[in-house]
Amino acid sequence: MIEFNMEDKYLVCSFPERLDTNYCAENSDELLQKIEESGREVIFDLQKTAYISSAFLRICLQISKEKGRECFSLTNVCPSVKKVFKIAGFDKLMNIR
Amino acid sequence: MDEARVVNPDEVMEKSVRAAAIFSQLDQEHTDRITRAVYEAGFNHRVKLAKMAHQETGMGSWQDKVIKNVVATQLVYEDIKKLKTVGIISEDDERGIVEIAQPIGPILAITPVTNPTSTVIFKILIALKTRNPIIIRPHRMAVKSSIEAARICYEAALQEDAPEDCIQWLAQTSREETQALMAHKNLALILATGGGGLVKAAYSSGTPALGVGAGNVPVYIEPSADVTFAVEQILMSKTFDNGTVCASEQAIVVERCIADKVIGEFKKRKGHFLSDEEIKHLEAVAFDRERGVMNLNIVGKSARVIAKMCNIEVPSDVSVLLAPLKGVGYEYPLSSEILAPILAFYIVDDFEEAVKLCIDLNFHGGIGHTVSLFSNDEERIKQFACLMNAGRIVVNTPSSQGAVGGIYNTLHPSFTLGCGTGGKNITTDNVTATHLLNIQRIARRRINERIGRFDTSLYFNESLDANTIEQQFNRNY
Repeated sequence: MIEFNMEDKYLVCSFPERLDTNYCAENSDELLQKIEESGREVIFDLQKTAYISSAFLRICLQISKEKGRECFSLTNVCPSVKKVFKIAGFDKLMNIR
Repeated sequence: MDEARVVNPDEVMEKSVRAAAIFSQLDQEHTDRITRAVYEAGFNHRVKLAKMAHQETGMGSWQDKVIKNVVATQLVYEDIKKLKTVGIISEDDERGIVEIAQPIGPILAITPVTNPTSTVIFKILIALKTRNPIIIRPHRMAVKSSIEAARICYEAALQEDAPEDCIQWLAQTSREETQALMAHKNLALILATGGGGLVKAAYSSGTPALGVGAGNVPVYIEPSADVTFAVEQILMSKTFDNGTVCASEQAIVVERCIADKVIGEFKKRKGHFLSDEEIKHLEAVAFDRERGVMNLNIVGKSARVIAKMCNIEVPSDVSVLLAPLKGVGYEYPLSSEILAPILAFYIVDDFEEAVKLCIDLNFHGGIGHTVSLFSNDEERIKQFACLMNAGRIVVNTPSSQGAVGGIYNTLHPSFTLGCGTGGKNITTDNVTATHLLNIQRIARRRINERIGRFDTSLYFNESLDANTIEQQFNRNY
């Protein structure tokens, strides 16, 4: 499950611990729909997340393309997940904190 | 992956880099699950893939290609399955050194026509075991079977939640596209098995490369050897997949005192000794004098088929064609590497002459690869080995199977045989998973006792020479 919260001009999406292929397949439609409907800047809160899959990277890439670097960021990223974004070169495409 | 599309090196590498990123999170257990799934899939399709490779390339025999697929799956898996390849892999409290295994990153695998599916599976297994994504670039004559092998492995890997695009394959790439991939800034390593030009291109790309040089394997039957056994073993090796293994024997060297016996044993086993006239016919068909290499159209063909191509009359069950030669070099084309059941044959007077001839053969296009010896004289085995330039000196062993490892000895089973600096390689090892890791070391404080007690002010006294300092430094109080 994804938790969605509206905070000022942001839509904050909080994710669980493991974002594997199955999880992304089950939740991506809802996630993309909420983002589109909100029309807000998007923050992914990865405080609880310890593992991400290729599918989640793809979702991030898609949102980054749609929203642009200024309107899409990831927060509370743990070191091992930060390393994934760094190796993939995504730190140039989105704000990762 | 669309087989006909133009390859965009940036796009391919982007996917591979993303796979590398996801791989970085995997633990040993998950990595091993993926490796096992790929091994099982490759093994379970061993016959189908062997038949495809044989049909597509027209080389060798499908039955021998099954065995190659078994080596590439079962034996390689057995060899690497317990290997620690993730995180901390060793801790030495006394030395204060902790070793951490890290993946190296995207690998480009150039695979050959002679062992297409087995090499593809082998490279995929060692790449995934070390959490590295791999891009397969097959030989143009073995595209279909190589891609099928890669596809089977990829589907099995995905079943175990491997990163997307951890295995990619390129159907047909232009020379420019291959070079662009080889030189791509995000590529970590090229695992090159193929023709000399391609391997050289890999080394020239600026990306680290492990390439396989050509072989030209002499086999010396020393008088203390069991001749019957030696001939049996050589024939088993040289006829295996019609001689397509680069470690297969290329030239027999025997001393005069046992020559008749060796010749008799070969004849008994359907070896055909060529006349001078027949040698000329064979040279014209088997060797491209202009390029100085074997002709591709005889590679992996049976002795009978090759004899027919040369209008040489042989019995239908002929096993190998043996060419008695007087020298080594391009003026003797059959003294070069030919991946078919053709053997040069030399008779010499003694051990010294035999060793000198083997050195000539070894240096004639096969530096660093493999040499073979049949002997029961320990001293001579060591003398011979020390004078050769070869990563593998196989003793009393069929060379094809012996060099590949895992069957007749404890060498690592591998389809990438390092040829050392002589073959422009960085290693003489049988390349395996351990070569695809970056090893990081935590080095804890452990002060060298000798430095601790040594009076370092002595270094500034110009009158003290190396011997005096060494004595002080190593003094045992």
